[in-house]
Amino acid sequence: MRALFFILSFCFLLPASRGQSPFFVEHPLGEIHREVKVSLVYEASNGFLWFGSNHGLFRYDGQQYQQYLAPDSLTNNVVTAIFEDKGHRLWVGYEDGRIFHLERAGQLRLWEPEEGLPAARISGFGQSADGVIWMATYGEGVYYFDGRRMYNIGTEDGLLGKDVYVMVMDEDGRAWVGTDGGISICSGKDGEKNVQNITRTNGLPDEIVRVILPDDKGNFWIGTYDKGICYYDTQKQAFSQIQEDWAYGAVSSLELFQGVELWIGTEGEGLFRFALPTRQLAPIEFEGLSGAKIYSLHADCEGNIWIVNNNKPVYAANRQFEFIEGAIRNIQAVLAGHNGQLWVGCQDGLYVYDEQKRSFSLYKKENVISLYESPEGAIWVGTFGNGLFCIDPVSGRELHLTEADGLSNGSILDIDGSGPYIWLATLGGVTEFICDKGIFEEGDVQVRRFDENSGLGTNFIYTVFLDSRGRTWFGTDGEGLSYIDNDKIESFTEADSIPLRAIYSIAEDNHGHIWFSSGRDGVFEWDGEHFQHLSVKEGIRDMAITSLASDSKGNILIVHPSGIDILDPETKHIIYYDDEIGLQNVEPNLNAVCHGKNGVIWIGAQNRLIKYTALNEQLCIHPRTSINSVAVFLEPIDFLQRTSFSYSENNLVFEYVGLWYTAPSKVRYRYMLEGFDLDWIYSRDRQANYSNLPPGSYTFKLAATENETFDDEPLQTYSFTVKAPYWRQSWFILLCVALGGAGSFWFIRQRDKRLEREATLKREKIESQFEALKSQINPHFLFNSFNTLITIIEENPEMAVEFVEKLSDFYRSILQYREMEVISLHEEIELVRNYAFLLKKRFGDNLSLTVNNGKEQAFIPPLTLQILVENAVKHNIISKSRPLNIEICTNEGYITVRNNLQKKIAMELSTGFGLQSIVNRYALLIDRPIHIEEGEAYFSVSIPIIKNGKE
Amino acid sequence: MMYFQGNRSIRIVLIFLASFWLQSNSWAQDYYRTAEGTIHFKSDAPLELIEASSKELRGIINPKDNTFAFVLKIRTFEGFNSPLQREHFNENYLESRKYPEATFSGRIIEGVDLSQPGKYTIRAKGKLNIHGVEQERIIKSEVVSSDGHLGLTSSFTVLLEEHNISIPKIVYQKIAEEIQVEIRATLLK
Repeated sequence: MRALFFILSFCFLLPASRGQSPFFVEHPLGEIHREVKVSLVYEASNGFLWFGSNHGLFRYDGQQYQQYLAPDSLTNNVVTAIFEDKGHRLWVGYEDGRIFHLERAGQLRLWEPEEGLPAARISGFGQSADGVIWMATYGEGVYYFDGRRMYNIGTEDGLLGKDVYVMVMDEDGRAWVGTDGGISICSGKDGEKNVQNITRTNGLPDEIVRVILPDDKGNFWIGTYDKGICYYDTQKQAFSQIQEDWAYGAVSSLELFQGVELWIGTEGEGLFRFALPTRQLAPIEFEGLSGAKIYSLHADCEGNIWIVNNNKPVYAANRQFEFIEGAIRNIQAVLAGHNGQLWVGCQDGLYVYDEQKRSFSLYKKENVISLYESPEGAIWVGTFGNGLFCIDPVSGRELHLTEADGLSNGSILDIDGSGPYIWLATLGGVTEFICDKGIFEEGDVQVRRFDENSGLGTNFIYTVFLDSRGRTWFGTDGEGLSYIDNDKIESFTEADSIPLRAIYSIAEDNHGHIWFSSGRDGVFEWDGEHFQHLSVKEGIRDMAITSLASDSKGNILIVHPSGIDILDPETKHIIYYDDEIGLQNVEPNLNAVCHGKNGVIWIGAQNRLIKYTALNEQLCIHPRTSINSVAVFLEPIDFLQRTSFSYSENNLVFEYVGLWYTAPSKVRYRYMLEGFDLDWIYSRDRQANYSNLPPGSYTFKLAATENETFDDEPLQTYSFTVKAPYWRQSWFILLCVALGGAGSFWFIRQRDKRLEREATLKREKIESQFEALKSQINPHFLFNSFNTLITIIEENPEMAVEFVEKLSDFYRSILQYREMEVISLHEEIELVRNYAFLLKKRFGDNLSLTVNNGKEQAFIPPLTLQILVENAVKHNIISKSRPLNIEICTNEGYITVRNNLQKKIAMELSTGFGLQSIVNRYALLIDRPIHIEEGEAYFSVSIPIIKNGKE
Repeated sequence: MMYFQGNRSIRIVLIFLASFWLQSNSWAQDYYRTAEGTIHFKSDAPLELIEASSKELRGIINPKDNTFAFVLKIRTFEGFNSPLQREHFNENYLESRKYPEATFSGRIIEGVDLSQPGKYTIRAKGKLNIHGVEQERIIKSEVVSSDGHLGLTSSFTVLLEEHNISIPKIVYQKIAEEIQVEIRATLLK
């Protein structure tokens, strides 16, 4: 859709017919804005043209209009003033008195000063050097805002009228205000106001002042309602009218080309120009503007004038080139005479063009091919084959000189001269006339001839050129470039390693460098020592160059069938001018070019004259390139603030433009995303897309060109970074390493602990087994058991058998359980019962063991109870009078072995290992502690029961 | 009257107002004068919020040429955070012995006819005199006009610096440089 609109806009850049005028091109707003009435044009510092209309604000880049509407439905969107302040903020004033600012993201935001906004049409803005913003209104006088307070200057303060048409700032920061009562010059600081007035009593021709335009001298052009235009000299405080009886109605707008001309827009009488050097007023002869209301005029920095009017909203024309068409054909020579006459040599005769009457008249029927005016005003007319005519246009006297009079040849291709020396380039060599008192004063004329015999390579001389150092240059056919300096001929047949053949045209720049064009090899520069060749690679568009000329700014005009190139000799920057400003089908003839007054160069083309005027303004030579927006996933961002993106914000679209209003379609771009692209990308698109950018630092570089050479174009850059995702950032990696390290350290620590515990457990177990074995194989136990056996073996053999069985069960149990970590409580108690049986056979009723065992499933390390019972037997007295009662009972997760305490006085040798071993083993197996209680009369050990075998 | 010698415009306004109050009703028919007028100010400084108000705002509006004059006796401000503060306000800052009144007089920029019922946003352009220092000001107000009376509300700021009201460094953080003022008045014909 956008592309379609783009193409459509181009179709609408319509050429229009012309008289003596620049080439006007319409810049239509497009079909969707058909109803829009534009009233105002303003050029911002970045080159964009802003238009105010009855349907909002428009920004134009040469190809597309971008509309900006106030977000507030209360605003009627009729834009009546646009201004960019020194901080590059855009102020937009509306018909209803509201003022909006354009935010960077493209939104209009209402300005809300404490004092409130005017309720009358904003008719202008300005800013004084101290930054104070001035606002003019149609109805409420003038306001100024110092950043803190807003003040009003009205009629009660001395203003000549509350309806302000125009306001401009002078160099001293004063506002010149045009009202219905004259001009008020206002200044103000805080509440101190100063108003000076200029009225009819001061010489102002009309009190209704519609337009004020400052010039470069600090004076003002003033457009009035009824009395036309006047110029106000601020030094002399004097007015001068440009025309006494102005008949073109109210002046509505003015624009100035310094030193060249003033453009005057009227309210219904079309557009006029006032030539400053000649003080001639002339209408613009262009149908599209005849009888138009001109609302706004603006000269842009490329030398284009923009015309906002009621016929077609917007026209533009390049002021540097004008065209004259008439009944003449095949123009071969032009000459601007000193009295303002323009001589035009054609195949069918010599014509005189009257610039005021705009008409050609035939002067002489000859095939005129060269023209020259000598200092005394004689016109030298070179013909093709019929010799030379010298004409005195004042008296009408005429001389006809032929080969018989000493001319080298009757075909005179070019004439140039300086003072009394006049040189003719002919097809038979060169002829020099030296006529101190002019050609008509006979007797004093000397004639000299140079030809191939005198050192010129050939007799065919295309052009002759006298430089500023008194040298005479010749362009020859096939034999290169020659010059005569003090009667010595020098020739160049090669330049910059390129053989020189036909030399068609020669010119000199401001530095005295000689420029010449060859038949097919482009342009050469000679700085006195070296040649430099400029060809297609350097930007010369067309090798069929017919003329070279230097303009008053020192630029070299290169004329060829494709148009005109203007070359800056220092930077070698070339600007193309062609069909977009009316230079189509140029068909220029060889050296049909001459210098006129006031920076004018006349160029003769096939059937029209081209008038080039070097403008005094410093013109832009490059497109004004800017990056307009950066969007992340199509969402525009404030890219002047944001230059850092997360890893997921890696889809970027850059929109940019290179403004070249002279030829918008010629603009080409190249860009490179440094850090991503390896080379420049060349494009005519105005956006660049990058998706899936890996993390990194990038610089988007952009250049725009209007002439296909990018080398000297300024670069626009935008640097940004796409951050690595957090998992690829060093802090995260370090954190991970640290965490991993800590984790494995912890794991290893845990494992070590576990291993250590296991090892301890194992050792404890082995030790307890050992201890148990040791105690069981305690010889006393065996000895006692055997003694017991002896006593019962005879008395009760059956009992003896049972005893031996129990003894053997007991030992088998020890061997069976010792390897195990835990055994069931039941098994342990069974073992203790066996053990107790054996003991009871020895101690009889003196030892009693009662077991009070719950039915629950429980576990216990093997031999634990046995060791405790053994300890009790070992450490206590067992006698008839003091029986030992051992009690085993379970209670709340504990199993307790309890006995009455009656310690032996002589302790049996004990390692003390038994109980300690139990405590150690339990500490490894279970959290709950072992309780050892020693009271006055009892001793008990409570051991936690393990509920399942795995605990 | 010895206090007013230095300032002509205050004197003019006062004489004007005084004569106005004394004149017969028939003369006054063309004018709107305040039936009720409150003014409230707020100093919102980092360390302290000071507020005070007065119900003694007096003024007249001439709907013929949209001129106006308002006057307020500084000493009628009440509120404050303490009696001492009120004393400081009067003695040290506003110097109400020397400059007993604040005035604002001038013309309404908009060419509205306030005698027609309706709601208007107007901007009053005039000279604001506080602390004996006159400042040109534009003050935006909302006016509701209905059958012989005007309801006026307005809020604006006063910069102490603009009126030569100097604050000792030591209490700088207690008094804002910018004082917010709100006005609410009813004017009758």
